Amino acid sequence: MTAPPLVVDRLTVRFAGLVALDDVSLTVAPGQIHGLIGPNGAGKSSFFNVISGVYRAAAGSVRFGDAELTSLRPDRIATHGVARTFQNIVLTKGSVTENLMLGRHSITRAGFVATALSLPWAVSEQARHRVRARGIAEFVGLGDYVDAPVDVLPYGIRKRVELARALCMEPRLLLLDEPVAGMNTAERVAMSHTISDIRAVLGISILLVEHDMGLVMRLADEVTVLDFGKRIAGGTPDAVQRDPEVIRAYLGTGRDA
Amino acid sequence: MTTFVQMVINGLALGSVYALIALGFTVIFRAAGTMNFAQSSVMLLGGLLVARLHEALGFWGALLVAAAATALISVLEALLLRAARKRDLASLAIMTIGFNTLLLAELSRQIGSDVLSLGDPWGSRIVEFSGITVAQTRVASLAVAGVLIAAFFLAFRFTRWGLAMRASAMDVEAAALMGIRRRRLELSGWAIAGGLAAVAIAFLAAFPSQGLDQTTGEVALAAFPAAIIGGLGNPAGALVGSLLIGVTEAAAATYQNDLSLLGSGLSLIAPYVVMVAVLLVRPQGLLGTRETSRV
Amino acid sequence: MSEIALVRPRRRVRSRAASVALGAGALVLLALPIYLPGFWLGVGLFSMSAALGAMGLNLLMGTAGQLSLGHAFFVAVGAYGYAWFAGHSGRQGTVDLSGLGLPPVLALMAAVVLAGLAGVLFSPISGRMRGLYLAVATLALVYIGHHVLLNARSVTGGFNGRQVPEMELFGFTFSNHHPDTLLVLGVPFGRLERLWYLGLVLVGLGWWLARNILRGRPGRGLAALRDNELAASVMGVPAARYRAAAFTVSSMYAGAAGAFLGLVYERIVPDSFGIMVSINFIAMIVIGGLGSVGGAVAGAVFVSALPLVLGHYAGSLPLVVPAGMEESGISPVEASNYLYGIAILAILVFAPGGLAGLVRRRSPKVPTQEER
Repeated sequence: MTAPPLVVDRLTVRFAGLVALDDVSLTVAPGQIHGLIGPNGAGKSSFFNVISGVYRAAAGSVRFGDAELTSLRPDRIATHGVARTFQNIVLTKGSVTENLMLGRHSITRAGFVATALSLPWAVSEQARHRVRARGIAEFVGLGDYVDAPVDVLPYGIRKRVELARALCMEPRLLLLDEPVAGMNTAERVAMSHTISDIRAVLGISILLVEHDMGLVMRLADEVTVLDFGKRIAGGTPDAVQRDPEVIRAYLGTGRDA
Repeated sequence: MTTFVQMVINGLALGSVYALIALGFTVIFRAAGTMNFAQSSVMLLGGLLVARLHEALGFWGALLVAAAATALISVLEALLLRAARKRDLASLAIMTIGFNTLLLAELSRQIGSDVLSLGDPWGSRIVEFSGITVAQTRVASLAVAGVLIAAFFLAFRFTRWGLAMRASAMDVEAAALMGIRRRRLELSGWAIAGGLAAVAIAFLAAFPSQGLDQTTGEVALAAFPAAIIGGLGNPAGALVGSLLIGVTEAAAATYQNDLSLLGSGLSLIAPYVVMVAVLLVRPQGLLGTRETSRV
Repeated sequence: MSEIALVRPRRRVRSRAASVALGAGALVLLALPIYLPGFWLGVGLFSMSAALGAMGLNLLMGTAGQLSLGHAFFVAVGAYGYAWFAGHSGRQGTVDLSGLGLPPVLALMAAVVLAGLAGVLFSPISGRMRGLYLAVATLALVYIGHHVLLNARSVTGGFNGRQVPEMELFGFTFSNHHPDTLLVLGVPFGRLERLWYLGLVLVGLGWWLARNILRGRPGRGLAALRDNELAASVMGVPAARYRAAAFTVSSMYAGAAGAFLGLVYERIVPDSFGIMVSINFIAMIVIGGLGSVGGAVAGAVFVSALPLVLGHYAGSLPLVVPAGMEESGISPVEASNYLYGIAILAILVFAPGGLAGLVRRRSPKVPTQEER
C-alpha cells in the first residue's frame, strides 16, 4: 500500500549550453515528505520537469520502485503513479469537478468509441469516478466548490483544486511545486495541514519544492538543497539549516572577518 | 543533359519567385505569430494593379505602385488582426482566411473571366546559350528576385531592423508589453511581405504563363509548403524550401511524360508531395527547431 | 447549448419550457417535407450534409484546437467511396468505371469507415504536428486529393465525375421510384422528401455521438490538450494519439457528409471538393461558435443556405444578379463570399463565440468567460 522509493541517480540536464542540473542524486523514501530547496535558479523546477517527463535528462536515471522513468513521455509517467502540481496553476476551463475528472484520466479507460456510443460500462465508470473525485475534493476542503467554474475562484482555492486534481490521479508520489506560493499565513497553515494529512492518510510520498522555509522545515522529514544545479547538502531539516554550505548559498559569501 | 540544365534553371527561377512570397510568410510569422492565408489575394491585387496601370506608368512604374498598394493593404490587414478578440493561433489564422475571402471576392469580380497581361518588358523572348533555351522572364526573375533576396538577408543580418526581427519573441502578449516600437516592427514585416508579393506575381503572371486571371493568386499557396519545409520563421529555411519546391515543380513538369503513371498535372501537386515527405521525416521542417516549452 | 465538456456550473436539467421547445422543433422538422417546395428541401438537404461535416470539424477545431484545411478531402473520400462501394462496374461515356455493387446501406457505412481510415493514414502527421504546420499540411490533402480524383478515372470517373447510386433500404428506395408513388397526407414523397428523413437520422445520430464524446473523457482530454498540452500530458493524456484520434473522428464525419452529399446531388465531380469547401467548413464553425455542436449545425445551415437563397431571390434583391447574367451586379456566389468574409471578420472581432456565444450570453445564469 505504501509507495515505492523514488531513486534519482546522478541526474544531469542541459539546454543550450546551460547546465540546469549537474549530477544530482536523491532518494525519496516510501511515505516520506522530502523538501527540495535552494536559491532561485538552483534547478528545482528543472528537477520536477525531468521527473515528470517534460525535460529529457542528458545523463543519470530516475527510478520509481522497479520502474525506470528516465526517458518516458509525461503521459506514460502518469500511469506509474507520479503526479505533480504546477507553479503557475494550469487549470482548464470548466467546473472544479470537470478539472478533477481530468485528473482521473489515467485511471479510467473509456475511449472514443465507448464514450460516443454511451456504452453502459463507460457511463458507469465515469459516474463512479465522479463520486470518488468529489470525495477527494471534500478531503482537500473543496466540498463547497465542486460545481463552481474555476475561473471565478480565488487564488488560494484554485491552488487547492490543482492539488486535488493531482490527488485524483491516485498517485504514489506527489510532486508539489510551490504549493503555498502567493498565499497568506492562514492559507499556508491550512495547506500545510492538508499536505501532512495527505501523507498520513493516503501514504503518498511527497517531494516538495518551496521557498517558505518554515513550512518546509516543519513538514519535511528530509531536505535536499540545490544550488546552481548541484546538490550541496541534504539531511534532516535541522542539519540542513546549520550546514555552512547552505547558509553560504542563500546569503552569499561574506568577506572573511 | 540540356533538358536537365534547363529544368534546373527554370526550377531555380520559379523557386526564387516563391522565395519572395515565402520570405514574406517568414517575417509575418516572426512578427505576428500567424500564417497569412490572405497572401494569395494580396498578391492578386498587386497583379491586377500592374495589369491596369502598366500602360499609363510603364511596367516598372506600375510595379512600384502595386508594391506600395500591396504593402499598404497588408498593413491594413495587420491592423484588422489586432482587433481580433481571441489571440490564439487558430483565430488569427482564420481572420486572415476571412480577409482573404473578402478580398478575393472583390478581386474576382474585378477580373471576371479576363486573362490580363502585365506588360512586362521581356514578353515571350528567349535566351539561348550552349544549346539551352530559357525564357527571358525566367532570367529576369532570377536576377530581380536574387537581388531582393540578397537585400533581405543583408538587412536581416546587419541592420537594426533585422536584429529586432531576429530577436522577436513571437509572443504577442510579450510584444504588447514591449511597446510601440514592437508594433511598428510588426507592421514593417507585413508591409515588406506585401511588397515582395507584388514583385512575385509580376513574374508569375509573365511568360510562359498565359497572364493574370482569377486563379493566379492560388500560386501563392505553393509557397506555404515552401515556408513549412524550411521551418516556419526561418528565412534561410524559406529560401531553401522555395528553391526545392521550384526545382521539384520544374522537374515534375519536364519529366511529366515519364511519370505519366502518376497522372497528369503532377507539377501542381509536387510542392505538397515534397512537403509531406519532409514533414514525415522532420516534423519541424528542414531548418526548424523543435519547440521547447517551459512550465 | 454548449457542448464544451468543461462548462456548466448549473445542473444540466433542462427547464420544462426548453424541453417543450425542443419537442416542438423536432415535430416541425419531421413535418417540413409535407409543406416545403423542392427548392427549400434542397437547401435543407445541403445544410444537413454540411452539418455532418461541421460537427466533425468542430470536434477537431473547437475541442482539440487544431486547424484543418483538409476537410474537403475527407468529404470527397466519403462521396466517392460511397459511389464506388455501391456503384456497378461498367462503361460511362468514355470511361470504364469500377464499383463493388454493395448494398447501399453497407456502402454508406463503408464510406464512413474509409474516410476514417484515410484519417488514420494521415496520423503520422496529424498526431505529431500542431498549429500552422498541421494547417498547411492539411492543404496537401486537398490538392493531392483533387489530383487523385482527376486521374484515378476508373474509380472516380475523372473530370466528368460519376453517378451516385441511390440509397436503398429493404426494398424501399430513396428516389422517385420503388415505391413509385408514396403519399403522405396527400403529398407525394419523392427523392428529396425521402432523403430528408435519412438526413435527419444521420444528423441526429451524429449529434448524439458528438455530444457524448465532448461531455465524456475523450472530450475532456482533447480540451485539456488544447488549453495546455504539457499539463494534459502530465495528467496522462497521450497527446499524439488523441490528436490523431480527433482527426480521424473528424474525417469520419466528413465522410458521412460526403456520402450524403452524393446522394443529394446524384452525381459528383472533383471540382466540388476544392479548397473553398474546406474554407466554408471553417466559416461554419467560426460563425456558429467554436466548441459547440449546436453552433456547428447553426453555422452549417447559415453558410450552406446563403448562396442558394441569394440565388433564388436574385431577381428581387438589390445588387445581386443571377449567375451568368450580363448586367452589372454581384452573382449569388460572389455575394455569399463577401458575406462570409465579412461574417468571419466581424465575428472574430465582435463576437468570438459565434452564434452559439450570442445565445449563451442571453442566458443570465451562465458566466461569460468563453473569451480568453
